[in-house]
Amino acid sequence: MSRLGAVPLLLLWALPLLLALAMLLPAALDGAAWRMALAHPQLWPALAISLGAGTVAALIATMLSLVLIAGFYNSRTWHGLQALAAAGLAVPHLAFAIGFGFLVMPSGLLARLLVGGEAPPRWVTVQDPWGIALTLALALKESPFLLCAGFAVLSRGDKAGRIRAETRAAASLGHAPGSAFLRVVLPPLLRELRWPLAIVFVYGATVVDMALVLGPTQPPTLATIIWRALNDEDPATNAMGIAMTLLLTMALTAALGGVALLLRAARRGLRGLLTAGPSPLRSPRVLATALGILALAVLTLAILVLVILSLSPRWPYPAVLPPAASIAAWMNMTLAPLWLSLALSFAVAAAAVALAVLWFETQPPARDRWVIGIALLALALPQLATAGGQYRLFLPLGLTGALFGLFLAHLTPVAAYVLIVLAGPYRAFDRRYVAAARALSAPPLTAWLRVKLPLLKAPLSTAAAIGFAVAVAQYVPAQLIAAGRWSTLPMEAVTLSSGGNRPLTAAFALVLAAPPLFAFLAAALLGRPRWR
Amino acid sequence: MTLTRRGFASLVAMAPFLPPASAEEGWAAIEKQAKGQTVHFNAWGGSPQVNDYIAWAGAELRKRHGITLEHVKLTDTAEAVRRVRDEVKAGKDGSADLIWINGQNFHVMKEEQLLHGPFTEDLPNFALVDTDGKPTTLVDFAEGTEGFESPWGMAQLTFFADGARLAAPPMSMMELLDLARDEPGRITYPAPPDFHGTTFVKQALAETMADRAQLPLAIGKAEFIEASKPLFDYLDRLHPHLWRDGKQFPQSQAQVTQMLADGELLMGLTFNPNEAANLVENGTLPKTAISWQNRGGSIGNTHFVAIPINSRSRAAAQVVANFLLSPEAQSRKANLRIWGDPTVLDLDKLTPADRALFADGDAPGAVKAPARAIPEPHGSWAPLIEAAWLERYGA
Amino acid sequence: MALRLENVSIQLSGRPLIQPLSLDIEPGETVTLMGVSGSGKSTLLSHVAGDLEPPFTAMGQVSLDGVALDGLPPEKRRIGRLFQDDLLFPHLTVAENLLFGMPRGPRPERLAKVAAALAEAGLLGFGDRPPNTLSGGQRARVALMRALVAEPRAMLLDEPFSKLDADLRQTMRSFVFEHIAARRIPCLMVTHDKADAPQSGRVLLLREGRVNHA
Repeated sequence: MSRLGAVPLLLLWALPLLLALAMLLPAALDGAAWRMALAHPQLWPALAISLGAGTVAALIATMLSLVLIAGFYNSRTWHGLQALAAAGLAVPHLAFAIGFGFLVMPSGLLARLLVGGEAPPRWVTVQDPWGIALTLALALKESPFLLCAGFAVLSRGDKAGRIRAETRAAASLGHAPGSAFLRVVLPPLLRELRWPLAIVFVYGATVVDMALVLGPTQPPTLATIIWRALNDEDPATNAMGIAMTLLLTMALTAALGGVALLLRAARRGLRGLLTAGPSPLRSPRVLATALGILALAVLTLAILVLVILSLSPRWPYPAVLPPAASIAAWMNMTLAPLWLSLALSFAVAAAAVALAVLWFETQPPARDRWVIGIALLALALPQLATAGGQYRLFLPLGLTGALFGLFLAHLTPVAAYVLIVLAGPYRAFDRRYVAAARALSAPPLTAWLRVKLPLLKAPLSTAAAIGFAVAVAQYVPAQLIAAGRWSTLPMEAVTLSSGGNRPLTAAFALVLAAPPLFAFLAAALLGRPRWR
Repeated sequence: MTLTRRGFASLVAMAPFLPPASAEEGWAAIEKQAKGQTVHFNAWGGSPQVNDYIAWAGAELRKRHGITLEHVKLTDTAEAVRRVRDEVKAGKDGSADLIWINGQNFHVMKEEQLLHGPFTEDLPNFALVDTDGKPTTLVDFAEGTEGFESPWGMAQLTFFADGARLAAPPMSMMELLDLARDEPGRITYPAPPDFHGTTFVKQALAETMADRAQLPLAIGKAEFIEASKPLFDYLDRLHPHLWRDGKQFPQSQAQVTQMLADGELLMGLTFNPNEAANLVENGTLPKTAISWQNRGGSIGNTHFVAIPINSRSRAAAQVVANFLLSPEAQSRKANLRIWGDPTVLDLDKLTPADRALFADGDAPGAVKAPARAIPEPHGSWAPLIEAAWLERYGA
Repeated sequence: MALRLENVSIQLSGRPLIQPLSLDIEPGETVTLMGVSGSGKSTLLSHVAGDLEPPFTAMGQVSLDGVALDGLPPEKRRIGRLFQDDLLFPHLTVAENLLFGMPRGPRPERLAKVAAALAEAGLLGFGDRPPNTLSGGQRARVALMRALVAEPRAMLLDEPFSKLDADLRQTMRSFVFEHIAARRIPCLMVTHDKADAPQSGRVLLLREGRVNHA
């Protein structure tokens, strides 16, 4: 195995990102920028809201997805749940935020159905000062990601049978299904899910588009303040945004480090729980069913609401249905950006998976923490900063406005997601299968193609689908690097949505959801074990 | 500085040095040079109407001048400013040839010498602009344009509502306070530094301050504290009656409009006097919608197009700017069914035939009694207003 | 304590796989059921253990000590099992694997039982090691001790020696049967190798769905 296998990933992904970050250093070291940031009256409360929303959303999403996995693991609904998670993952964050918002806001569907009256009730259900609406929407939207990552682990070819056998052994030792799940399935599962869990937290604490729709406004989340500052035409304000970005990144790192330390401290207690002996803990099927139905209902309603919103220019309170329908919003769709987005996203997702596999195959596992660290950084930093740095980096190289530059800019977040989703399952692969194939005199490539690849197809296809979905949704890097020379689907969608025309926004949100939806369904079909 | 850049700069710079026998000949030379060039027009892309209008302009320009107009749709004009700044720093040719711009973005670009110009006096149609009646066509947020940007359309702070729910609209900030008292929780404005939010506060400033003559002048922090006392007294009185008790504010003008359309709010605000008529046209608002401008006048400004200094198609960009000022393009833009953006031209300077293009019937939702425009305060006011507002109401 | 099968039959997608079978196993007795692979013998064990999964179905009654087990989930049957693989939990140490199935109680008492079981298996001092550092024979012994410290009322052995080498197989066989006999619980073993059966116990043959005495 060659060490050189790391080169493509480092050259195409890590280097453009790290050099782009280096372009931001002058601003980060600018004393005036820091003074301006620290003097901002909203800085500390906004930071608290960001961290709070990220933490609570990650906790709820974790609990929700684990209850669903525990409740339906080994049941007939398992594959149905996979399809549901795929659908949930495919819906763009902004689309879900708009749909969810219209369900719960004072003039929303629930108020119309339950309260009525002439004017909307004075509920504080969206943009509440505590960020509850944002947190709940984040938790609901992030659970499908965790579910998919969990499925990728549990459906892995080399592992699925083993885990099932182990739960059977646990049952023979007196453990009820719930107890067996908690003590046998969960510990290795959580181990492989640690990076996806981290990214859910980081995402929640740094999200902008959802925060703009559902989050508090006075003060808003820190990510929102940063986004505005980086968007400003004034270089000093941009520099303040960079300083705040650095501050937020440090806070996130500290929080993740704190969690790691807490877990280490709680290690004894947790291991004691694992070995406390057989318990009649049932599998939380009733709770899982209830939560699953609730999540499904919210997701379905949110999408249904989007469909209705896309067709109704006006929907005044308290009408339960809009007074008139119009397809005007749908007439604004143009197909050219769609083809570019599909081709580009496909290429980027395929390249990301290939680069990640090359890395995992040729590098010792101990080095993973570096690429994972870079990946987390890529996803934690606001794209206006990373892509802005990349813009400045690419400019003298003639990569702005060029397809290859666009490809590299998309690769930054996509490869990060792919690495994070794939690291756990790929590294936990039972190498004896390859050893067995080699012992049967299969050359390395044959062993990999005929044995490892099929056994890892669940996580690989999930990672590819997530990569594709992430690529299709990229707006900021696309807009910056394309420099007006190319137009992708989200560029078209986001610029048109900036006018606040709700039917248009809803229609584009639905169009944006379609390609990833097909990708996830394909992944769910591809990743389905043949031997079940 | 690289060779290529110097070469291209001198090439473009040659045009003015050709000895023009007359202005017409000079312009003819520019038009000739413009033929076959592509203009990347960086313009906000959030409105299908505006996008369609630009697409129409593109088709006309190709037909008449052989120019290809590419609309680069932006969510925020600052993006183009940052892009040009980076390009110029890197000594690269421009990706933008024309930018839809005004206010702070223009100031920054002019100050950093990122703009080509002055060029507006060369545009034949510039002579038709109503520079006397609409002084903001020459003064952008209290700063002279000095020929570095060409006027495109007029804007003025306008409120709108559903007349069926709000029969007697408040015609001043004081009446607005009374209305808010009567209808608690049904009125709000976007939080500054949102552009519309800042303008709302500027309007309140203009209506409450003792001496409005201060507004066009630069102001320091100490003077501002004194000058803004009545403003913040007013806002302190207003806020408790606003949506969410004035503790939370919407993020944008679009959100306010949406909440008005949904029935959660009583009134919205806009910079386009014809926006409500437009929203009636596309079905967002009912036909009972009304628009008004505050009796004593309201903050008004002009939006422009400017040419970045590193544009490769400066000649064509000027032809585009000139076309956008033509009576045909201006009247089409002013048409409610197309865009509804008020013209910058002086109708008295037009031929009767051209003037007839502007004949526009009374549309539901349009402003019935236009008020005079109060020019934007000097650029030094906005940052102080925004900082003070944030300090007071931000957390 | 006796394990009793009454007219137990197994179907695969509705077609009969094992004809009705009746069998009594006395405490301390080990009955060996022999059959070629695919004959359905492991499926029968799954039914007794309570985790038969579709497309298999079963009829008839299984009872332990006079109490019917049918419908009871596997974890409530208190039937220990040894599989072809040792299935030691890789995320737990050897001692933690033993604690895993041990009934709840005061911690010192449970730890004492672990120590005793490790001593019995000749693995004193191995408690803190992860299972993957043990040899095959050591792992097999831990797997048996893990099943036994769970205090089962019956044992099911599913080709438990098939993966061990010949030498190990002999010692492991006597180790397993001695411990099961000492605990006086009924035991049902399935295998395809006659040499696996204990010398004294009954041996049944499963052929084409029918069970005959050897």
